[in-house]
Amino acid sequence: MTTACLFILLFGCMLIGMPIALALGLSSIATILMFSNDSIASIALKLFQSLAGHYTLLAIPFFILSSAFLSTGGVAKRIIRFALSIVGHIHGGIAMASVMACMIFAAVSGSSPATVAAIGSIAIVGMVKAGYPESIAAGVIANAGTLGILIPPSIVMLVYSAATEVSAARMFMAGFIPGIMMGLMLMIVIYFVARIKKIPCQPWAGMKEVLASGISATGGLMLIVIVLGSIYGGIASPTEAAAVSAVYAFGVAIWGYRDIGPLKNEPWRKDGESIVGMLVRNAIKCTTALPKCVIDKDVNKVLLDASKVSIMLLFIIANAMLFAHVLTTERIPHHLTEMIVEMGLSPWMFLIVVNLLLLAAGNFMEPSAILLIMAPILFPIALQLGIDPVHLGVIMVVNMEIGMLTPPVGLNLFVISGVTGHGIGWAIKSALPWLCVLLVFLVLITYIPQISLFLPEFIDKMHGY
Amino acid sequence: MILRILNRIEEAAICLLLVATTTLVFIDVVMRFGFNTGFLWSQELTLLMSAWFVLLGASYGLKVGAHIGMDAFVKLFPEVGRRILTGLGCVLGIIYCGLILKGSWLYLKKVKMIGIGMEDLPGLPTWIAHGMLIVGFVFLTIRLLVILWAVATGRTDGFKHADEAKESMAIVEELKKGEDKI
Repeated sequence: MTTACLFILLFGCMLIGMPIALALGLSSIATILMFSNDSIASIALKLFQSLAGHYTLLAIPFFILSSAFLSTGGVAKRIIRFALSIVGHIHGGIAMASVMACMIFAAVSGSSPATVAAIGSIAIVGMVKAGYPESIAAGVIANAGTLGILIPPSIVMLVYSAATEVSAARMFMAGFIPGIMMGLMLMIVIYFVARIKKIPCQPWAGMKEVLASGISATGGLMLIVIVLGSIYGGIASPTEAAAVSAVYAFGVAIWGYRDIGPLKNEPWRKDGESIVGMLVRNAIKCTTALPKCVIDKDVNKVLLDASKVSIMLLFIIANAMLFAHVLTTERIPHHLTEMIVEMGLSPWMFLIVVNLLLLAAGNFMEPSAILLIMAPILFPIALQLGIDPVHLGVIMVVNMEIGMLTPPVGLNLFVISGVTGHGIGWAIKSALPWLCVLLVFLVLITYIPQISLFLPEFIDKMHGY
Repeated sequence: MILRILNRIEEAAICLLLVATTTLVFIDVVMRFGFNTGFLWSQELTLLMSAWFVLLGASYGLKVGAHIGMDAFVKLFPEVGRRILTGLGCVLGIIYCGLILKGSWLYLKKVKMIGIGMEDLPGLPTWIAHGMLIVGFVFLTIRLLVILWAVATGRTDGFKHADEAKESMAIVEELKKGEDKI
């Protein structure tokens, strides 16, 4: 009865288009007031505590801020140039380079649609020029772009750890090998497609170009090194790493790359300028740029955009914690687990059900919303069946990736159709063959837990646990 | 004019809270690694500021359409149906705010009566620190009323929802502009 009330209210509110945060909050509070003895004052306290009681959650706004500074076209261009210089000369090299660029940009931005937009608008044109059919180019980018939520640091993984209290650092370790593996799988398929279609490859650009483009891409690459290095090394918590990366991203965007902010269009070295003159000019400009940031239009816009996304996510999470509270006090996952154990469902059958459920949900809702609603229900069941929580998290994230490529709420499809100017139908058709790679990958991830668990366990061993 | 200034103040306050939180955690990290010391009060203050950030921002998000929601079902209806459903959504949202406001009021009154202070921030009574609950949800109620009024008068027929795909297109625009220059 309680369960029915909770879910009918929740889905009813969501169907009529209420913001998901309000829908979660209202259905949970109504259920608490109707069926339990909790006082309404304690609910208010609970809500405030879920906003102010979780230090790990702070990583979310910080990572969003750092990605907002570096999710610019300029950074995408530098990363693509670097990727091209490394794998451009292999068969299907340009497409492989696009996948690699997607992987790097995904790590920097932590968002899938942003990756598709930034890499796609440069790489698709480039691939078509090099002789690839446009549908292949678009399909590759749409799929590789989904890596944004799998390769750490990833916002969706932080949301999963918020919903289940699984360590965010461990999730970040678990996503690394699967992310690389999926990129490699795409690249191998590309290699054979390029061989069969006889697409010409580029000449090897030389070590000099690798170094030059590598240095120009360092600003973005270092962010990954700093964040993953400090988390994997056990030096800093994800929250601290995120704060450092936000400050670092600000510095790189404003002083280093100068794509946005007060130093925009201010070159590092003007033609015919002496070294001393250059150093002095840059030193003065960099110092005066800092106070100028307060009123700078670009910087303000980045801050406001990051605020909007962070607030949206954190407000949903706070309300989802009320929802999870109702689930726990009403022992809903507990009853479900009993049912499943009685049915004699083995772990692998349960995982099939999880996959089907998530794939279906992924068609209608945003990844973070699905995770916040489903994770508190599935997590206790999985635990009972002996499935590792970190493994479950990776499975859920990979499912969310596929959800980004299936209509009607396939974010990446919309971006692809926006970038190429073709309709949604065309975008679906072009992404479909590559989606099969993703589905094979999902099966691998689901049934070989070692792919996700190897790195976190290895690092644990290194630290001597 | 006054509305525009108020709007700017709201945006500035939200951005400032985000910047302050980030900077505080960053300084904390630098202090710990560089000088092996730290502030006792910084963690509680960061958490408090982030809570204020979200509470203050929730209503702003409603205004600029930053929240996510589903509109697939609502879109099936003709305009009148969409307005009725959205109106219903607003009313339910206002009920939610009303419940939280009532709860916050009772909770804050009790905390003030007992006189509890914050753990690591001496001198700051808890009821002031947690009082943002009231402020945030009063703002949220007002914004919901504004939307309800707009729905009733026919100026809108749905909640504005965030669209990550559309926002990502800003990068595409930026790149296209850059190409024109070259």
